[in-house]
Amino acid sequence: MKNPAVKASTFEYITISLSALLLFFIIAPLVSLFMEANPSISVEMIRNQEVINAIEVSLEASILSVTILTVMGVPLAYILARRDFPGKQLVEAFVDLPLVMPHAVAGIMILAAFGSRGLLGGYLQDLGLIIEDNFKGIVIVMAFVSIPLLVDTVKVGFQLIGSSLESVARTLGASEWKAFTTITLPLSFKHILAGALLGWARGLSEVGALLVVAYYPKTVNILILEYLSVYGLKYAATLSAIYALIVLSIFIALRKVASK
Amino acid sequence: MTMILLENVSVKLEGFELNIDKLEVGEGEYLAVLGGSGVGKTLLLYTIAGLIKPYAGRVYIGSIDVTDYPPEKRKVSLVPQDYALFPHMTVIDNISYGLRIRGVPRSVAYEKAKYLARLLRIEEILDRKPDTLSGGEKQRVALARALAVDPKVMLLDEPFNALDPELQMEGLKFLKSLRSKLEFTAIHVTHNIMEALFISDKVGYMAKGKLVGVFGREEFLQTKYSEPYVDLVENLYRELK
Repeated sequence: MKNPAVKASTFEYITISLSALLLFFIIAPLVSLFMEANPSISVEMIRNQEVINAIEVSLEASILSVTILTVMGVPLAYILARRDFPGKQLVEAFVDLPLVMPHAVAGIMILAAFGSRGLLGGYLQDLGLIIEDNFKGIVIVMAFVSIPLLVDTVKVGFQLIGSSLESVARTLGASEWKAFTTITLPLSFKHILAGALLGWARGLSEVGALLVVAYYPKTVNILILEYLSVYGLKYAATLSAIYALIVLSIFIALRKVASK
Repeated sequence: MTMILLENVSVKLEGFELNIDKLEVGEGEYLAVLGGSGVGKTLLLYTIAGLIKPYAGRVYIGSIDVTDYPPEKRKVSLVPQDYALFPHMTVIDNISYGLRIRGVPRSVAYEKAKYLARLLRIEEILDRKPDTLSGGEKQRVALARALAVDPKVMLLDEPFNALDPELQMEGLKFLKSLRSKLEFTAIHVTHNIMEALFISDKVGYMAKGKLVGVFGREEFLQTKYSEPYVDLVENLYRELK
């Protein structure tokens, strides 16, 4: 007869070893980044107006993009969680498209659709929306690549709540809107916040599509690439470390809020 | 006076079809609807509540044609099988939800909730959240919440299903006494014949998405539809002997 205790410890040994290996894979580059960063260059960089501008552009564009995306993504996630309709799978596939699309291709797609010579570019120009080398272009790129992370996370939140709570609320006198705002929204708040956080982080990390659509005004990612090619790894690593510190601080603070 | 009337109602949901030629429930009457799993009992309640719209036929509540009314305009309360208590609200907020949503001031809504809590003997748990309640307590909170809005009709979907047999009996007796005090009209769907016979004035029987008939309690026991239930009890008794 097999001894279940031995089997369990082998199982534990394998799972813990593989988990530790994966964690090392994440932590090692992070530690190396901070070791590569140069403190005296850091001080110089924090005072550099170009760096300050790039950090401002990155944070402002990512926050604006995730705000717009949340306003539009939450209703879409709700429809996908609650309704069945012909072509639903196709809609879900479209939502996940930015996740599987190579970043440069995503940039070309955005340019082809919304660029000044793109399909809708003429109309958008009339509305004052020019995306090439423009802050608005950065916002659009960041929102585009973040869609699947926000919509899919929020959709799971709505699915977990189920529809019976809303049904009861409706029979008790709540309109669809009231049932959503008093029952579904508060119960799915954590998922919405988690989705927004993931979307925000995804937007911040984008560089490939930005190189195609909006090189200017420079985001930090673009500036890091520029520093790498012009000044070398030490400068690029120092700016990366500063940026990583800022982003990680915000990310940890928001996660704490979300977990409350 | 007729409180609920369904005429030639047909509903489709995910390939399942419910067809009700006629269903009539008088004011103050308590109808139990019996039937096995998947015969459309819950769908019937959801159709009356307005949560699913029929593609044919008319639904009347208190002589008003409510077929095109949304659920919030029908004055119908639903107690679902899982009770669906709002997990982010305390018991008192759950009970008073329907009143608050209608704009009733908090103090007035809370007074009504406290009155119902006394009636349903749950005044000790008003400040607790649903996840800390027992099955029996959850059921009473769901009943209090449904009654708080003074509905014309109560729709109860297998309300004793999640309870153990002892609590089921206690719950049944309690619901019966509550009914004699408040005299509400109700449709109570169940697959339990004892429950149906104990609490109702009339028994409806459903099979394959159709309402086969509505009978008096004793009359129902004479029909062939009661045979599977009676046979089950007899077989069990024989096995035990």
